Amino acid sequence: MTGSGESGPLSGHPNRRIRRIAGRRIVFDGEDFLRNPEDWSEEVALCLAREDGLQELEEKQWQVIRFMRSYYFHHGRAPMNRDLKAGVHMTLMALEALFPGGIRRGARRVAGLPNPKSCAG
Amino acid sequence: MKKVQLVINGIKRQFVVGPEQVLLELLREGLHLTGAKQSCDRKGQCGACTVVVDGKARRSCLLKVADLDGSEVITVEGLGTPDNPHLIQEAFVLSGAVQCGYCTPGMIMATKALLDGNPNPDTEEIKKALSRNLCRCTGYVKIIEAVKLAGRFLRGEITPDEVRPDPQEGMMGVSHPRPSAMMKACGLAEFSADIKLEDAVEIAVARSSEHHALIKSIDTSEAEQMLGVVGVMTAKDIKGTNRIKFVFDDQPVLCTDRVRCLGDPIAVVGAGTKAQAEAAAKAVKVAYDPLPVMMTPAEALADGAVRVHDEYPNLCWAQPQTKGDAEKAIKEAAAVVEAEFSTQMNHQAPLEPEACVAYLEGEGEDALLVVIGRSIMIHSHMAMLQGALGWENMRYEEAYCGGQFGIKAAITSEAIAGAAALHFKRAVRYIPSLHESMLLTSKRHPFTMKVKLAADKDGKLTAFVNDFIIDNGAYQILGIVVGLRALQMLSGSYDIPGIQALAQLVYTNNAAGGAARGAGPPQVAFALESAMDMLADELGIDPLEFRFKNILVPGQSVSTGAIMEEWPFQGLWEDLRPHYERAKQEAAAVGNGVVRRGVGLACHSFGIAEPGDAAMVAVERDPDNGVTIYAAAADPGEGNDSMLAQIAAHLLNLPMEKVRLVTRSTEQTTETGPAAGSRITYMVGGALVNAIDQMRAAMEEAKVSDYEGLKRANKPIRFIGRKNVPEGPLDPQTGQGSTFESQVHNIQMAEVEVNTETGEVRVLKMTTAVDPGPVIHPQNLEAQLEGGMDQGVGYALREEYIHGQTKDWITFKFPTMKTSFDVEVITPRQTPRQKGTLGATGIGEMTMVSTAPAVVNAIKNACGVRIYDLPATPDKIKAALAAQG
Repeated sequence: MTGSGESGPLSGHPNRRIRRIAGRRIVFDGEDFLRNPEDWSEEVALCLAREDGLQELEEKQWQVIRFMRSYYFHHGRAPMNRDLKAGVHMTLMALEALFPGGIRRGARRVAGLPNPKSCAG
Repeated sequence: MKKVQLVINGIKRQFVVGPEQVLLELLREGLHLTGAKQSCDRKGQCGACTVVVDGKARRSCLLKVADLDGSEVITVEGLGTPDNPHLIQEAFVLSGAVQCGYCTPGMIMATKALLDGNPNPDTEEIKKALSRNLCRCTGYVKIIEAVKLAGRFLRGEITPDEVRPDPQEGMMGVSHPRPSAMMKACGLAEFSADIKLEDAVEIAVARSSEHHALIKSIDTSEAEQMLGVVGVMTAKDIKGTNRIKFVFDDQPVLCTDRVRCLGDPIAVVGAGTKAQAEAAAKAVKVAYDPLPVMMTPAEALADGAVRVHDEYPNLCWAQPQTKGDAEKAIKEAAAVVEAEFSTQMNHQAPLEPEACVAYLEGEGEDALLVVIGRSIMIHSHMAMLQGALGWENMRYEEAYCGGQFGIKAAITSEAIAGAAALHFKRAVRYIPSLHESMLLTSKRHPFTMKVKLAADKDGKLTAFVNDFIIDNGAYQILGIVVGLRALQMLSGSYDIPGIQALAQLVYTNNAAGGAARGAGPPQVAFALESAMDMLADELGIDPLEFRFKNILVPGQSVSTGAIMEEWPFQGLWEDLRPHYERAKQEAAAVGNGVVRRGVGLACHSFGIAEPGDAAMVAVERDPDNGVTIYAAAADPGEGNDSMLAQIAAHLLNLPMEKVRLVTRSTEQTTETGPAAGSRITYMVGGALVNAIDQMRAAMEEAKVSDYEGLKRANKPIRFIGRKNVPEGPLDPQTGQGSTFESQVHNIQMAEVEVNTETGEVRVLKMTTAVDPGPVIHPQNLEAQLEGGMDQGVGYALREEYIHGQTKDWITFKFPTMKTSFDVEVITPRQTPRQKGTLGATGIGEMTMVSTAPAVVNAIKNACGVRIYDLPATPDKIKAALAAQG
């Protein structure tokens, strides 16, 4: 518990990570979500899914991804679970199980929806 | 108990009251006349509760109802309604005197009492009559104008219709009344504490009495048995992460095993009344094991210092910045100045306490948690609450907000209220006192800065060194962001080839720092602009000429190395010069008596739209051919409602009443980012323009001009507009990279009087020349400048927040009408910015960045002493004068 321990201070912007993914340089936030949803492509989705342990995405998973992106670009915000449930006609339990990280950490991240912007970027 | 009869707003009423009930309580809680507000814990300090009693302006928080038998009371609701407003309400709206609106009803009632007795008051009489009414937004300038205009209305010299802008004048550059202003002027805008919730539980919080300690035990048994108590909750009752995460997840909603700051929340009590909840909160027993207390970065960085957070070193972030070769430039310079500057911790001081209400819609696992609070970024705050509370199904609604100034970028009462609603499964009201609000909110970070500034023999700046340490307080919140912003704007308005800086952020047990108007630049600009005057003095050059000589021109770079394509600053000096010459002559004429006069300058170029910023706005064509704008663009008083409505009306050639704004609920709005960083006009306004462009393109393509036409042509009626700023984070090793996409430029000039015997400083006048791009609403622009400079003067001379000691508006030294000053705003230049919203930028924060250094430079000019550590109090000035001999 000392202030001068072995781990030094951070530097740079903790909410920005530049990664090379699917052959492109893409900016992610501190939670590894895309900052800009337009950086997304199906290839990027597959890369992110593989990071979560899914080798391929099945049609049910693409259905969820497509719904999330369509909702986002129509409403200007990510769907709540109730919207998602109604939109893809699946139970929350089924949706949570569909992606290893669940709905938010899994489906939403793979779909390339950004976290809402705060003053921390 | 006593029976009393009162006439309230013309209606005779009878009440049976106890000896302690005050009129404010009766009005607000008994009659739900919530126009009268409470800010100052019923100490009579703020005037927000002012009503007229028997013809006199009275602070209703101090009046015992039992003493008022037979009195006639008029509240703001008794004056007029939005459809039939009183002339005073009209005058406040038309003068632009209504910003957040929290002080407005009290101001209006004080004005009513004044004008009933004196229909034609002069400025001093107005200041005297309204001296007990506080306002944080306006700097009082537009309020004084409103009182004078109301007098003219009431004397029949002019009518509101003659003052009200004609819609035919157009929408750009015209001060149409703000859409929300009349509701606020009539006391009908509902702030969080005004919202009536049936059968709500009142919340109180047991908070840490220690600055730093381990929690050995929490005993709630006595509290649970007390009268009216519904329940007591602690951290174990929160289902989520119990962590509020901006950058680090270091801040608990309720503390578990350790407190890191005086006032940290430990337990929540719900009870039938607020008094019962507060009594029970006091009965929660917490046993502590004390830890070393580190209230300064020096203590936290000392060898062997205990970590404030086990997961992070106390020096939690450090960022160098290197451009050119500052060391070499300093060695070769013709003149170098060196000094250490410091700025104080400060409270943003919105008048409204940190109130929030929450409830559940529906039951069981499908229940919707509704939080109505003070957020300026409802979508991201909702996301943080979802994680912290472990409840996804939420809606966050922004109530009307009584001032912001950065404080509402952090989460405070909504986490407690949300957690309590989930735990107690009841509607809850959490209305903390002013003192508690001060304890639980984030503050302006204190900086200490070691500075060197160098110039060559021609008076051109060559190098700037600034090693600064930021006291982060106990929790991260936005400390890193403040440090980054300070670096991005480190070189201010100037071309400085050599930059060497190091920003260091240190955890302490002080109050957590957060966003505060300007957030970083006001601190570093104080050092730079003070050093500019010192160096001008060293070189024997007039401070204005020295600055003029060094202003950046397009093609040169700022401290991040980013090359600027546009920098419309140079002309501002010419605009200010005649005012500067006049001020210097007037100051010289005063002579060297006990009271001396001085003139000081400072300038800044404030960044708008950080790299990677993004905003979205939805616009729908309505069946009546109006439009509805959907965007979570909070408006805690700046006038974002005017901006959105006037731009849409302008581009679509609509009357303003056909532009509807939906901005306050996460269920209907787009996610547009925070109403902070002076970004709403540029980013959200820009996204709005983009959406309207799409709508117009669709109409043109279909050769239609209205809603029906779009429907017939099978075109969409809803369009999502976007505005994105390219990413470009600073390099972690060099601090080089891109910076804000645009800038708003300004110069400020302070004229002060210094009493050399008492050290008292009186600001006589602030003059500012500004180029914000095309002005959408001149009154809103002026009001931001007037209010910002009032805050800047408070920051320069008086205000300081000391955690645990600053408890109310008196100990905070809140600016009053008595300390207000003349303001002149010069805006002949409105240079359209290449990527601005119809050319416009934003101005909310720039307004106070230059103020403190201008005032401190004026003090030096007046009496020869320089103050290096803010605030420049009379004691510091007297000590400096004594040391000078």
